Amino acid sequence: MTLETKRIVIATLGGLFLLSLVLVQWMETARKAEEAGIRAPHVSVPASSRECVECHAEENPGIVTHWEGSTHAEKGVGCVECHQAEIEEADSYLHHGAQIATVVTPRDCARCHDHEANEFALSHHSSAGNILASLDNFLAETVEGSRIDFNPHSPTPGKAVDMVNGMASAQSGCLQCHGAKVALESTDGGLITVDDLAPDTDGRPTNLDAFAKIMRDDKGKPIIFAGTWPNTGIGRLNLDGTRGSCAACHSRHDFSPRRARQPENCGKCHLGPDHPQKEIYEESKHGIAFRDLKDDMNLDSEEWILGIDYAAAPTCATCHMSGNIRNGGRVTHDPGERISWTNRPPVSRVMDTDINHAIVTETDPELRRPLIHDTANQKRDRMKDVCSHCHTDSYVNSFYDQYDNLVILYNEKFAKPGLAIMGALQANGLSTSTQFDEEIEWTWFYLWHHEGRRARHGASMMAPDYTHWHGMYEVAERFYMELVPQAREIVQHGRDTGMRAQAAAVEQVIDEILQRPEHIWFEEGAEEAAARIREEMERRYGGAQQN
Amino acid sequence: MANEGSRSDLSAPDASHHAEPESPDRRQFLDTASRTAMVAGVVGGYGGFALIAGKYLYPATTGDVMWQFVSEVEGIKVGESIRYRGPSGEMINITRMRREGTADDFIALSSTCPHLGCQVRWEGQNDRFFCPCHNGEFDPSGIGIGGPPGDAGQSLPRYELRVERGLLHIAVPPPRFASAEDRSGIVTADEGIVGPGHDPCLGCESDRPGYHGGEELV
Amino acid sequence: MSVASWFGDRLPISGRQFQELTNEPVPYHLKRWWFALGGTPAYLFIVQIITGILLAFYYESSPSTAYQSVEHITTSVSFGWYIRSVHKWAATLMIVAVILHQMRVFFTGAYRNPREINWVVGMCLLFCTLMTGFTGYSLVYEQLSFWGATVGANISDTIPFVGGFLKRMMLAGDAYNQSTLSRFFVLHAAILPVTIVFLIATHIAVIRMQGVTEFQFKDEDEGTARTFNFFPDHLYTELIIGLVLMVVLSALATILPATLGPEANPLQTPEVIKPEWFFYVAFRWLKLFTGTAAVLSMGFIVFVMFAWPWIDNWIRKHTRFQEASVWIGILGVVTIIGLTLWEAFARH
Repeated sequence: MTLETKRIVIATLGGLFLLSLVLVQWMETARKAEEAGIRAPHVSVPASSRECVECHAEENPGIVTHWEGSTHAEKGVGCVECHQAEIEEADSYLHHGAQIATVVTPRDCARCHDHEANEFALSHHSSAGNILASLDNFLAETVEGSRIDFNPHSPTPGKAVDMVNGMASAQSGCLQCHGAKVALESTDGGLITVDDLAPDTDGRPTNLDAFAKIMRDDKGKPIIFAGTWPNTGIGRLNLDGTRGSCAACHSRHDFSPRRARQPENCGKCHLGPDHPQKEIYEESKHGIAFRDLKDDMNLDSEEWILGIDYAAAPTCATCHMSGNIRNGGRVTHDPGERISWTNRPPVSRVMDTDINHAIVTETDPELRRPLIHDTANQKRDRMKDVCSHCHTDSYVNSFYDQYDNLVILYNEKFAKPGLAIMGALQANGLSTSTQFDEEIEWTWFYLWHHEGRRARHGASMMAPDYTHWHGMYEVAERFYMELVPQAREIVQHGRDTGMRAQAAAVEQVIDEILQRPEHIWFEEGAEEAAARIREEMERRYGGAQQN
Repeated sequence: MANEGSRSDLSAPDASHHAEPESPDRRQFLDTASRTAMVAGVVGGYGGFALIAGKYLYPATTGDVMWQFVSEVEGIKVGESIRYRGPSGEMINITRMRREGTADDFIALSSTCPHLGCQVRWEGQNDRFFCPCHNGEFDPSGIGIGGPPGDAGQSLPRYELRVERGLLHIAVPPPRFASAEDRSGIVTADEGIVGPGHDPCLGCESDRPGYHGGEELV
Repeated sequence: MSVASWFGDRLPISGRQFQELTNEPVPYHLKRWWFALGGTPAYLFIVQIITGILLAFYYESSPSTAYQSVEHITTSVSFGWYIRSVHKWAATLMIVAVILHQMRVFFTGAYRNPREINWVVGMCLLFCTLMTGFTGYSLVYEQLSFWGATVGANISDTIPFVGGFLKRMMLAGDAYNQSTLSRFFVLHAAILPVTIVFLIATHIAVIRMQGVTEFQFKDEDEGTARTFNFFPDHLYTELIIGLVLMVVLSALATILPATLGPEANPLQTPEVIKPEWFFYVAFRWLKLFTGTAAVLSMGFIVFVMFAWPWIDNWIRKHTRFQEASVWIGILGVVTIIGLTLWEAFARH
């Protein structure tokens, strides 16, 4: 190879080298662009929480991993920031040098998220713990269980069972959604709850005698009564006087807003035979659209405003809580703000609320008006703001007509009559004052608490099958085939056992109801109506048709 | 064409002893051209590599900041100053001047004195930042007004603050990578007098693993 | 006054002497590229020094941050992935080049009298290069870095008499601890490179002093020139090799960049612990024997390699097998390749 050839070769190779570096630069640019999108945000462990993270990363790595994926971790909000507690608080204790409490209440969250905590405190969610004073409560505690522990009647091989906890059904069932009354074990063998501690506005117990009786383990940690913890019920009655648990919707420890935006989150509690909102949503077109277009829902965005960040489909949060372009993108933590009928009671009520967010019960229109602070129509308009993102006004208004009609039909045809019959039986002493000890009480319970609610919820969220087959059909069957015959049987029994007058009074109520135009078919037959239907079918489909 | 140098004639360039049919000018041109091309190739190649090495070494000033939670606004009283350590280890004094509850109430200044690196502290009673090493003084906005920094016209670097719903956040540069030594957050350890460039937290008792202010490790 | 005469006034060497010193006549056979194999590892060594220094700007040799610093280099620093990948591939290529060069020297008998000294220096260079490769990989602090170092130290422990001492010196203790990584770093970035530089200098000095043997191949005519100039002819050859290597390194760095395995976990031994490829032959050899026999046999082989010029001389003097070294060499190469491949494909 001549020298000249060699020089040319060197020049060519030099050029090739330079070209390869250009490729390297190109790869670097591409890599940087990709990294900008993918790089996980940095986790800041604040100094005060560093030891917590180090130890719990070994002991409970899931907790730490969850937290590291949260916005809290990005911003430098660690363990101590939420779990810190004053020494005067009932459940606080010293844990590896930090004064903390295990249970984090809305008061702790409110230190930074006070706006949301206040809204939540006014909502029906936070009063979910009030179930403790209701019929459901009796069902779980007494009918399904026992308010006092009782002796087991035979041994359980492999397990030493001293006493049977009769409250287990309530504790593992109702209270897990509705919220337990958190209790600490007391040195005198009892339990200490918020009622005993009487906390002040800062959450500190004023009843120091009760405080002194708190049973602690050998490290000074208060022993929480197992029946009430773990519990993340949305209406939990906390020791510091607050109600609720933010973690019910914003699962700890990543407190993911993304999760709270999805229907499965609400579906943990809002499902089942007595309020199948989750199933109803899934049947409805809204749910179908969501399932299909989930990738377009932009669930990870920081602000999640309907009309700006997404518009593909609504979830529970969309209609009931999240912000949209018509309300300035404002999220509310009080879903009641947008609900015009409450379908919880046996007879649905219009949600005209007073200044305390309680439903106005005054019936006289004149006396009602000054008491009302927020009308049902105002609430409905807030909901219509959401609907109008996808539906025109006439569409929305006509829907509300359909919905109102179904609720009122249920109210007038079955709920009020049913209530009247049950009331008459009670008033005339033909049914005991104990709930659920007679068949008719179960029948009535099913009618309004399960089937009646299903019908109303189904209508409210456009699920025809729930409105009809799981709803009104079953309401009607329950009413005609069970409630009425059972009431008549009791009346007969009353007559046979010498309570003629009372029996007659109840019978009169029943008869009066069944004479009404909407019920008359039951007594006197409805041949005319049936004949008309048969004619119509033949005209439409012709020939000898099976019906 | 083979190169001849059998007598190791070292000083002469690659002189050819063969008769050339080409013109000397063309010969000369090709010769120069090939030399130039070669130098260009080598310089281009290795020069490119040197450029890459340079970019590699030059610290990336991305200007990236991350917003970190400091404290609730109500957790800092008017006239009080708290010390905050950023994720990259920088020490910051955050002082509250007014009670309005906005970001303008506060000022976040590096607490490292630009003179020789000691930690300065806020003196509410004298309305100034004071450096104990050589009596450096800074006014509330961080401008040097006395001592060596004042003479040199130095001031304390500022960090941006933001108040969102009653919560104070600070913009700090992100650390290079997550490390076990990450200890960002409000600093509560008592430092004492420090020497030039001395990190007041070095050698602190509370650095020792397992130390909990006397509490028994559970 | 010109620059040359300014220096000439101060340094006791004339222009002519300088030229004579540097522009050595290069024997003609070095025009054959096979003979440029000595310069190749030297060039790659320089590449390693430059990329190594660049990496050292960001690498942190403490166990708690070593892995993160390598990750930082690979994912965050501009062109960090490139510099690291070039460093990794140049290490592989350098070892390959050193081995090929040694094979060339062996099969052309260039270790024979008077060149025994350079053979020994070359063997030292081989081991320094292998050690540099070993210590370098330990610095990444991946699982295999940690466990490879632990296993390597434990193997040294089995060497009679000096084993325990060697192991403790390597690990700065009885087991991998806080100081071990710093020790590897100093070895890899300071002690070994400086040693290699001195050895290379000695290697080249000895070559210059002794002169390069003049070969004549069968296909050359008689009477053709025996030597050619270092400047610019051989320099061009070296430049071509250098540039080819840079292009190859860039290509490898881009197509097969250095990756990062899981971080070292002292509490969890991985299923398979394997050293770097250049130690596969030794690893497999040690697995074929047990304990002391393994280490001693390996030590014996290393001794034979160092002492080969004398052994070869003895064979040629006292037996009739004049070409024995070639056949033994072929056997050695086949064995090395065989054991390396065996270890590479073994899955356990």
